Amino acid sequence: MSVARKALEMTQAATEAIVQRAETRYEAHRQETFRSADRMFAALMIGQWIFAIFIALTVSPYGWQGKVKAVHMHVWIAVFLGAAITSLPVALAWFRPGEPLTRHAVAVGQMLWSALLIHLTGGRIETHFHVFGSLALLAFYRDWPVLITGTVVVATDHLLRGILWPESVYGIPNPEWWRFLEHAFWVVFCISFLILSCRRSQKDMRVMAERGAELEALSENQWRNSSVLERAAADTRGDR
Amino acid sequence: MTVDTNIGTARKAYDRVEVPAPGGGTRSLTPNQFETLPLRERVSFLIEGTAQFFLDGRPISPSEAMRT
Repeated sequence: MSVARKALEMTQAATEAIVQRAETRYEAHRQETFRSADRMFAALMIGQWIFAIFIALTVSPYGWQGKVKAVHMHVWIAVFLGAAITSLPVALAWFRPGEPLTRHAVAVGQMLWSALLIHLTGGRIETHFHVFGSLALLAFYRDWPVLITGTVVVATDHLLRGILWPESVYGIPNPEWWRFLEHAFWVVFCISFLILSCRRSQKDMRVMAERGAELEALSENQWRNSSVLERAAADTRGDR
Repeated sequence: MTVDTNIGTARKAYDRVEVPAPGGGTRSLTPNQFETLPLRERVSFLIEGTAQFFLDGRPISPSEAMRT
């Protein structure tokens, strides 16, 4: 085999190895981002559950059925519906961290938490801010389709509850039929920028991985040059 | 003082790079054009030492060029 041919093969092999390592680094970075966000949401979901029970106990702990004092339905909703919303995302974050299914289930769960908290506070407009906070937190995944899932869930929830039970979502019995569109518009406004941010973050992660590959390639080049010099020096000394 | 935290568009330490052209000879690229080449191609140029970097018309070493 000629020296030129051997050098070409060595370069191809080194290139493949470096490119592969860059891809591995990029994927590892993405996975760590996903897993870290999964862990954060698992803790947040449990925190929201406790908070929802606290809200239910504080705002409307009891109701009256005739002369009988009874625990208000909101308390049971907070306990059992809260548990139902929390259980799947937390289980997936625990058993299948980093997987696409997990972060989309988290997005659905988080938006359902917004819906439940809005209901428990009687449709208070201030509680709607939870939606925007949740979208910002979902952007921690740096995976923009997750934001689309969240948006679809919150828009559908507002549409259906706006028709079926408007007090639950807007706090008034007869809102305009199009009010859900107004809320959805601001959500879309918010996620437009979050999507840009996610895409930029992904690009930065890719650039970081590729920068590492370029530095590895430089190092490989320097090692080869030094080897050539060492061989030339050995030849000059007559070592061989 | 301002700090550019965006890695993707951080200022490069070179303003031009010459790399081998597919049909022979060389082609001159801006940093952005070089960055958009496939990684495999860039790595190959750097390993072979066939990419020649320039700053203000003066040739600089690849290690100097890779600093941002």
